[in-house]
Amino acid sequence: MNVLIDVATDLRDYLPELLGGLRLSVILTLSSLVLGLPIALALAFGVTAAHDVLRWACVAVVEFGRGAPVLVVLQLAYFGLPDAGVTLSAQVAATAALTLMSAAYLAEYLRGGIAAVPPGEVEGCLALGMSRRDTLRYVTVPQGVRIALPSMMGFSVMLFQATSLAYSVAVPELMSRAYSIGSSNFRYLSMFIAAGLLYAVIAIPCTWASVYLEKLLNRHA
Amino acid sequence: MIRTILAGLPLTLLITATAMALGTLLAVPLTLGLRAGAPPVRWVCRVVVDLFRGVPQLVWLFIIYYGVSAGDARPTALGAGVAALGLVASGYLAEIFRGALKGVAAGQWEAAAALGFSPATTWARILTPQAARVALPAYTNYAIALLKDSAIVSTIGVAEMVFRTGQVARTSDMGVFVYVFTAVIYIALSAPLGMLSRRSDIKLREAVAR
Amino acid sequence: MPSDDADLVHTVAAEPAAVRVSGLSKTFGAHQVLKSVSLDVPKGSVTAIIGPSGAGKSTALRCMNLLERPDSGVIQIGSHIIDIDHGVSTRNLAALRRSAGMVFQNFNLFPHMTVLRNITLPQQRVLGRSRDEAEAIAHQLLARMGLPDKGSQYPNKCSGGQQQRVAIARALALGPEVMLFDEPTSALDPEVGAEVLEVMKELASEGMTMVVVTHEMGFAARVSDQVVVMADGGVIEKGAPQDVLHHPEHERTARFLHAVLER
Repeated sequence: MNVLIDVATDLRDYLPELLGGLRLSVILTLSSLVLGLPIALALAFGVTAAHDVLRWACVAVVEFGRGAPVLVVLQLAYFGLPDAGVTLSAQVAATAALTLMSAAYLAEYLRGGIAAVPPGEVEGCLALGMSRRDTLRYVTVPQGVRIALPSMMGFSVMLFQATSLAYSVAVPELMSRAYSIGSSNFRYLSMFIAAGLLYAVIAIPCTWASVYLEKLLNRHA
Repeated sequence: MIRTILAGLPLTLLITATAMALGTLLAVPLTLGLRAGAPPVRWVCRVVVDLFRGVPQLVWLFIIYYGVSAGDARPTALGAGVAALGLVASGYLAEIFRGALKGVAAGQWEAAAALGFSPATTWARILTPQAARVALPAYTNYAIALLKDSAIVSTIGVAEMVFRTGQVARTSDMGVFVYVFTAVIYIALSAPLGMLSRRSDIKLREAVAR
Repeated sequence: MPSDDADLVHTVAAEPAAVRVSGLSKTFGAHQVLKSVSLDVPKGSVTAIIGPSGAGKSTALRCMNLLERPDSGVIQIGSHIIDIDHGVSTRNLAALRRSAGMVFQNFNLFPHMTVLRNITLPQQRVLGRSRDEAEAIAHQLLARMGLPDKGSQYPNKCSGGQQQRVAIARALALGPEVMLFDEPTSALDPEVGAEVLEVMKELASEGMTMVVVTHEMGFAARVSDQVVVMADGGVIEKGAPQDVLHHPEHERTARFLHAVLER
């Protein structure tokens, strides 16, 4: 019970600072998504390209982005790159790492979505004499994105939660703030619970929204 | 250098396997609770599952490691790691199991009842085997994800692969190579599991195709 | 009796075939799906292609606008000719597809667009028509199809028969010389299918050249000018409906017709 009181007091006292961290977490999430999405679309087509070198390169990027633990990619960007002559600030490094991850995961979802577009619709386009580019632009990509949307939303929530790991590369996001406040008032438990609640307050409704969206989209098709 | 990192592999695998086992165990009552008749039970389980999945794993890890204490006793880093990962896993697995059970047609219950099976037999012989088949792809996918998530315990000092990678990278001037190497190990570990999961997923998709 | 010379002149001056395929062959793996299929469809006439399942009827039709690529053969639609052995140029293919409208068994409407947009988009993108022009034409066609108020609805809100009529409108909007129908009523209830057949009948009476793969013997008998019977990848019989349907020459045709009429 003490704990709950602690959490409540700490939230009241430190909310501004925690919210500042939360804001940074959200910024990290959104920038990685915005940067990653176009790359993901290119990768989604690239992994099935006819050109061998292009295909292998895209597959390698996707497999690396999906197969490597987030923490490793983050540390690679912040601690590893300087050895190769590229020194990035904490936030830029974290954004780069998370963008790679987003591009890789979203590419897989988009590829699945595009593949799930009924082939009959593509045939309809061809029979009408529509060019391949127009077919992609008006039918394949819009439908593919629509189909992939629930998974992509689910991924966005996971990405948001993954930003908590950016604490390990000195990004002053929510976790970092909670930890540093905790190390000054020694109330780690309540600080972390407070942080957890702040994450949950965003993550849980977003998850509900994506489930609702999935049901909605299934009715329309 | 490579040997130092790989020395952490057994611990990585152990953490993953134990957390998976813990998560599976905890998921069972949660799944049953989610499908329970009494609304309060369903509600509580819903909140629990949503919290387990909504709060980042790192936060749970820190809550357990830095926050929990019974008197003077504090959890070990390894214990906290497995507990946190297992906790979060139980939330996701409960959802997976719930979805799988829902996927096993309601008609199965009725058929079993009409044939006179007891609830216990129905669960054991009819529902669980079918649900397990449906849940398998998602279950293996989660295990693969958990393998990568196990890396977070490095932040509290557990000497698995990523922890060792950090140590090695700090003292070398080929940091990039070290991190890429570790990433490749994880990719190599998850590849066979991934292929297995994709194959079973395709087979199940064909059975349920639109 | 006309002299031979007059005959020759008459033949030369006759309308050219609107659709002509010759020597269409295609193999899928070890299975030969089309065995040198040839047929002519004179301009303004209706040809029905009938036959048992697996005969290659749909494949043959889909080769006409190259949705399926035959291994060899010559395809002619209007003034566009494609000889497989001499390669297929993209421009030639695009021109050929513009002259041929196709209606599919599963309609293949775009579910994420309204009925109106389904019909206007191809006009705008393929023919370069302005939006206003395309919409005017779309409304005209929808009215002709008996669906004047359906423009702003989404396909999934329309019945099967309505969706198929929208599909027909979409194809007609591009002003094709020829219309190809791939089992247009097979996915529809008989009652609803009748609506679509009515539209097709009207289209025929307006002089559209049509090739229809169908199981609807009634349509074949009453509306078509030529019936082509296919089985096992080849054309086994062709001629006027009354001849083919009532006095088939081949035993295989007779067997097929018997089975169909039995049902």
